[in-house]
Amino acid sequence: MTVCGLRALRGAMEGIAASLLSTCDADGRPNVSMISQVHWVDDDHVALSWQFFNKTRANLLATGKACVEIFDPRTHARYRLHLDHVETRTEGPLYEMMKARLAGIASHHGLEGVFRLLGADIFRVVGVEQLTAPVVARQDDRPPLLSAVRSCIDDLARCRDFDDLADALLDGVVRHLRIPHAILLMAEGDGRLFAIGSRGYPSSGVGAEILPGEGVIGVAAREAVPIRIGHLSADYRYGAALGAAARQAGLVAREPHGVPFPGLGDPHSQIAVPILSAGRVLGVLFCEAREIMRFDHEHEDALMLLAGYLGALATLLGEDEPRPADTSGLPADPPAGLVTVRHFARDDSVFLDGDYLIKGVAGAILWRLLRQNAESGRTDFSTRELRLDRTLRLPAHAENLDARLVLLRRRLDERGACLRIEKTGRGRFRLIAACGIRLKEMGEAATPAG
Amino acid sequence: MVAFLQGGVAAILGVRGVDGRPLVGSATACRVHEATVVRLFLDRARNAPLLQAIRAGSAIAATFSSARDHRSIQLKAPSALVGDPEPEDLPEITRQCVILSDELMDLGYTRAQALAYVAFDPACLAVVEFQPDRVFTQTPGPGAGAELRR
Repeated sequence: MTVCGLRALRGAMEGIAASLLSTCDADGRPNVSMISQVHWVDDDHVALSWQFFNKTRANLLATGKACVEIFDPRTHARYRLHLDHVETRTEGPLYEMMKARLAGIASHHGLEGVFRLLGADIFRVVGVEQLTAPVVARQDDRPPLLSAVRSCIDDLARCRDFDDLADALLDGVVRHLRIPHAILLMAEGDGRLFAIGSRGYPSSGVGAEILPGEGVIGVAAREAVPIRIGHLSADYRYGAALGAAARQAGLVAREPHGVPFPGLGDPHSQIAVPILSAGRVLGVLFCEAREIMRFDHEHEDALMLLAGYLGALATLLGEDEPRPADTSGLPADPPAGLVTVRHFARDDSVFLDGDYLIKGVAGAILWRLLRQNAESGRTDFSTRELRLDRTLRLPAHAENLDARLVLLRRRLDERGACLRIEKTGRGRFRLIAACGIRLKEMGEAATPAG
Repeated sequence: MVAFLQGGVAAILGVRGVDGRPLVGSATACRVHEATVVRLFLDRARNAPLLQAIRAGSAIAATFSSARDHRSIQLKAPSALVGDPEPEDLPEITRQCVILSDELMDLGYTRAQALAYVAFDPACLAVVEFQPDRVFTQTPGPGAGAELRR
């Protein structure tokens, strides 16, 4: 074992360069194959994915011994690991993580059901041989990540509300981690995710929806584990070898009125890390790049740290201030023009003069605000009253509401709509209409015309 | 099949070590002699335990995979011999390494990574020769592992 344990060899276990696996049957006859990944578990263990009942599997069951060769594409070092099988896990966090990574790859290539993880085979590493020494790798393609994370956390610590947090996180990822393409998504109670901000794309994609389990983002959220792919095109070629069943599945929910997902057209590397707080998935931080192998274990560590910090801060900042909201109302600017706002109760989608704006909880919130404004002329509201309103079917946790308001406000701003939402204090905001509003409830049965 | 084996594909081999444990290694190139004898070129230092095992009588398995489309074949033999390369082997080894490194770069590897992957020291090569008695398809998919009958 190396002085630093297997952790020092993680670069060779990124799942980028193919690894080599040999086993022997009970009579000593060898079998050798390429495998897509050796999964780092801890300083003494690795895991291999068991996907098929094949000769390798039969040999493992017969002898419990295996040997793998791994290649570190960053340092060009090669290692040979001698493995003793410990157990096969078919449930638990490690299994879920490997399964999710596999599912994320499969989802991107329409190979659900083909890449099926039957189990995670855990091995104790009983010997390590260094076959070729690492060359000194140039590291000037990225900053020292620990220092970069510290700078991001400094920025996050100065934020006063979720709106600021979302921006600080995305800005930090670009500025300090030097990752140019990033999207922050927050989860609905039903598992859907909505983009609330992005960096590095021609359009922000605020409001774009990802369905549960869809692509690396949906799987990261559903399984609450980071999902990282470093070689999308190679995986696709791997998929192509599996036959004509391969079809490319997009990341984007194909909703007739959805906001287009702002992702890169030709990403090679993608990483999605869950934003966790108290065991719940609040959202997902997603980054991608055109280069292969852009994100490694250390990027995953860095992004998980940031996502965890965001989760904790979002929960803290989501708690209300005790001060009640000012409900006296303020005179709005004189209305100019008239906009018809239609609401479809079926999915709480809201349209402005026939143009899709938003749906889900954020749509329900907007509709509630507009109705109250129409009934009483109120323009000032508090997050507390929204939280207490059961008709909104809000998820139980405070930070989710803040995320919905941020999403709503950004969608309105981006559309240049005559409606705006303006923060007036912590937990308080104002609805501003620069035009006349006519509300039209379309009812439960109505569906937006495609 | 000979063209495939000599076409710049990635070649790997497995043997049973002298301690009874499986061993895996990678070859630099492959030549086929008179359509029956497979000759694998290996770095001696990297693969010393494998060469020792072969000399001690281990059976051998070798898998050849196309980097471009993952088409793969596995050959097996009950034994193999260890020898030295001939001078005329070197241009062919170099040719195959160039093909493989080009394919790796097409897949998105940097030039440095691809060259490192295929790098070899001509002074440090051994040859492992064997006559395969069994051939299996290894391409990922429903037919993986099926034996090809002659």
